[in-house]
Amino acid sequence: MTGTCPLPLLTLLLTLPIGTAALCLTCRQRPAAARGLALAGTLTVLLIAIGCFVLLPAEPGWLLREDYRWIPALGIRFSLGIDGLALLMILLTAFLSVLAVWLSWDEDNRPPAYFALLLLVEAGVLGVFMALDLLLFYICWEMMLIPLFFLIGIWGQRGGIAAAMKFFLFSLAGSLLMLLAIIALYVLHGQQSGDYSFALAALQHTDLPTGLAPWLFAAFALAFLIKVPLVPLHSWQADTYSAAPAACSLLLAGVLAKTGIYGLVRFALPLFPETAQSALPLLAALALAGVLYGGWIASAQRDLKRLVAYSSLAHLGFILLGLSAWTTTAVEGALLQMVNHGLTTAALFILIALIEKRAGTRQLDELGGLWGRVPRLSAMLLFFALAAIGLPGLNNFVGEILILLGTFSVKPLWAVLAASGLLLAAIYMLRLLQGVIWGPARDERSWPDLVLHEWLLLVPLALLVLWLGLYPETFLEPLRGPAQLLLNGAAPLSLSGGLP
Amino acid sequence: MTAPELIALLPLLILALGATALLLAARGSVGRGWPLAVGSALALSAALSAVLLPSCVTEVGGMYSTGPYARFFIALWSLATAATLISSGPYLSRRRLPSGEYSALLLFAAAGMGLLSSAVSLSGIFLALEAFTLAFYVLIAFNKNCALGAEAGLKYLVPGGVAAGLLAFGMALLYAASGSLQLPAATAALTIGAPMQSVALAGLALLLAAFAFKLSLVPFHFWTPDVYQGAPAPVTGLLASGSKGAVTAALLTLTATLPAAPAPFKPALATLALLSMVVGTLCALAQSNVKRMLAYSSVVHMGFVLTGLLCWNHTGRTAALFYLVGYSIVTLGIFAVITSFSGEQEPQQLSDYRGLARRQPLRALALTVLLLALAGLPPTVGFMGKLAIFSAALAAGLPLLAVVGIVASLISVYFYLQPVIQMYMTPAPSAEAIEGHSSEYGIIALCLGLTLIFGLWPGPLLELIARLTP
Repeated sequence: MTGTCPLPLLTLLLTLPIGTAALCLTCRQRPAAARGLALAGTLTVLLIAIGCFVLLPAEPGWLLREDYRWIPALGIRFSLGIDGLALLMILLTAFLSVLAVWLSWDEDNRPPAYFALLLLVEAGVLGVFMALDLLLFYICWEMMLIPLFFLIGIWGQRGGIAAAMKFFLFSLAGSLLMLLAIIALYVLHGQQSGDYSFALAALQHTDLPTGLAPWLFAAFALAFLIKVPLVPLHSWQADTYSAAPAACSLLLAGVLAKTGIYGLVRFALPLFPETAQSALPLLAALALAGVLYGGWIASAQRDLKRLVAYSSLAHLGFILLGLSAWTTTAVEGALLQMVNHGLTTAALFILIALIEKRAGTRQLDELGGLWGRVPRLSAMLLFFALAAIGLPGLNNFVGEILILLGTFSVKPLWAVLAASGLLLAAIYMLRLLQGVIWGPARDERSWPDLVLHEWLLLVPLALLVLWLGLYPETFLEPLRGPAQLLLNGAAPLSLSGGLP
Repeated sequence: MTAPELIALLPLLILALGATALLLAARGSVGRGWPLAVGSALALSAALSAVLLPSCVTEVGGMYSTGPYARFFIALWSLATAATLISSGPYLSRRRLPSGEYSALLLFAAAGMGLLSSAVSLSGIFLALEAFTLAFYVLIAFNKNCALGAEAGLKYLVPGGVAAGLLAFGMALLYAASGSLQLPAATAALTIGAPMQSVALAGLALLLAAFAFKLSLVPFHFWTPDVYQGAPAPVTGLLASGSKGAVTAALLTLTATLPAAPAPFKPALATLALLSMVVGTLCALAQSNVKRMLAYSSVVHMGFVLTGLLCWNHTGRTAALFYLVGYSIVTLGIFAVITSFSGEQEPQQLSDYRGLARRQPLRALALTVLLLALAGLPPTVGFMGKLAIFSAALAAGLPLLAVVGIVASLISVYFYLQPVIQMYMTPAPSAEAIEGHSSEYGIIALCLGLTLIFGLWPGPLLELIARLTP
């Protein structure tokens, strides 16, 4: 059951990026050292995550748990734990963080501060995926938000400050209401049992007054769905993605969107099982709206980053649809699709950054004829765009087909509507390919094709895309347990029972 | 007065007698550093004696307690005064202000604030309140070359006089109803069925209005922005933390003597808290002057503290005190940064902060963290304070105050981030950098450190405060 690891691995995972960030800040005079440190820090985190993934047995329930006293006066514990789902998310975070650091290698505006903030985002996200104490979770949730505000505001492109503020206030609106809901749960549980605690396992056994549960669930769901985002809470997304520096767009779409879905799976659904059940149709309707609306709007975008942002909206709608179908196949597909979407979106944002570096623009009507100039880059773009559309043999296909199958078995209409979203995906992605790769070139300048530095970014992503497309079992297996426990109404939490 | 009583009063005597001695000794002290050093040494020794010296008596003259609650606040305000004195050296010498009088006045204010926090009788409250308010009248208008300062002094004087009148009349009514100025006995007349209960209630209303003036709760807040704007930055820091804190401490003692809020007062006080949070937030949104913004923000924060008091139980009072201590630390830090940014002019407009992160990265970072603490974001003491207040409010059945408080904190993030945006995200004009003094850096680092330590490790402080709270 609970892993017996001599090292406090989870605490290490959380503190390593924070420590590295502090070290980065001390390298004020030597930007190269800050870069190196950031890369070393993220790589170490990735190695630990891979180690956990390879060595820990794939079983339902907690793989590793750590629990320490923290603030006894308020009943707050420093309590971390991972199951298969959390481990996969940690792996994705660690991997994309390495790519984010590598992608911003040439950052020359105050690199120490930049990399330190990037590492703090990583620490916050890792904390979100590991925290089992609701207050610790909340603190990590905010911790990933604050550095992003600075990253987008300082290093973002034109309109960065406004976008950063919009992003910050949107996220905070959700999370502060969630804080109130957390406190309400804490107080209710304390009054019922005399044990004032923020532990998830304890709060699950709170008897909620019937009138209150929907409000509390709504507060949690709002915080998470803003982060995903889900229509109609998405208006920050395109502005933020397009104004943010490339590495931040990558993290925002690849990882931060997943924290929202993870929050639903880990906290909102298990804490309020009955309310959640009755809210699922609404969630599904919004998810479908996201799939269709996102696809439709994406087809009308000129800015590549905005196009991918809206396509993200559609893909995330797909994942939420799978969750709300509430069948084994669909939920497993949804959880797997979180990883898939992270990989392909990250790849697309990286490619857009590479194109923008060469062309100086990312407007669709100012680009064209890339195949003739940079065939390798174009090939990679083609590859990842096809993966995003859901070409069989590549990663997204697996998740989407599972979601569609699982949904069709209970709600055929939803599946049919969602499938038409796939058609929209083909439309906007092919429009992107057509506009960027083919057509006449706008000028005669010659561009360098992919160099080694850039290959190193794309090849691991491409290999993972193929792996997930051809043999998804490796990553599907650890998700089976968490998916089943979620569906049974008892998240893996009941296994731990009373805290030490 | 007996010897044990004198010993029990030693921390306050150090402050008051030290201030008198300084006033006599330091004449013509423009540009001198030593009165500030002596003043802060006196304040520190007062704090030390308050912490270390055991007290053989529990009360002095039936007016002032010498228990741990009183001692804690005497130490706290002495430390705040010491911090203010240490960090105002360069500020005073740049403006050619006499440091001797300044130190003496601050020490007098510290003694008054300490007395007010330890008051256990109505007369004690009145005397102490007037004592430190008098010192602040002068301190606010201390820079006599600054027209805004003189205006601010006057604006503090007039409402202060009105508040004093209300306070005295309210006490007279309470005394008439109860026949006592001692606190538990004086407020016993408020309980249902007591003879002359209505007179006592009228007295309490006047008393609370006077407190609301000093705490600048809406609608008694109109003096606040002008005074904050005109007063010298270090004085504003102490005014925002110490004077409001001492008044809160006295209010807390007062409310703790009542087992439940007298019937008409709970909704009235809840309305004051609500109005303070809403109006303070909305007014702060519109400010382009940082000190005025901080003034309105203090209105909001006093609304939070009042929410804690309104829970009317031990948890709520503990939360309010914890919030108060955190808020004081953060506010002192912020005004220390503003003080150290002050050249000939104080940086008051938002545009004065443009690009400061390039020129003064350390202090800009400190100001950012402190502002985020005011906004109540983790991992700072501001977050832990809000957590304590809101959980106490929900547990005590005040969900409306908690919800409004959360919404106010959300909106307030917008204006707390404005200086941050100016410092980090706006290109710098070619203004000269103002070198910080090491004493200023020390105080800023101390406040910043405490903000983070109590944000990540609030346990010991919370337990201490829970033990102290009546």
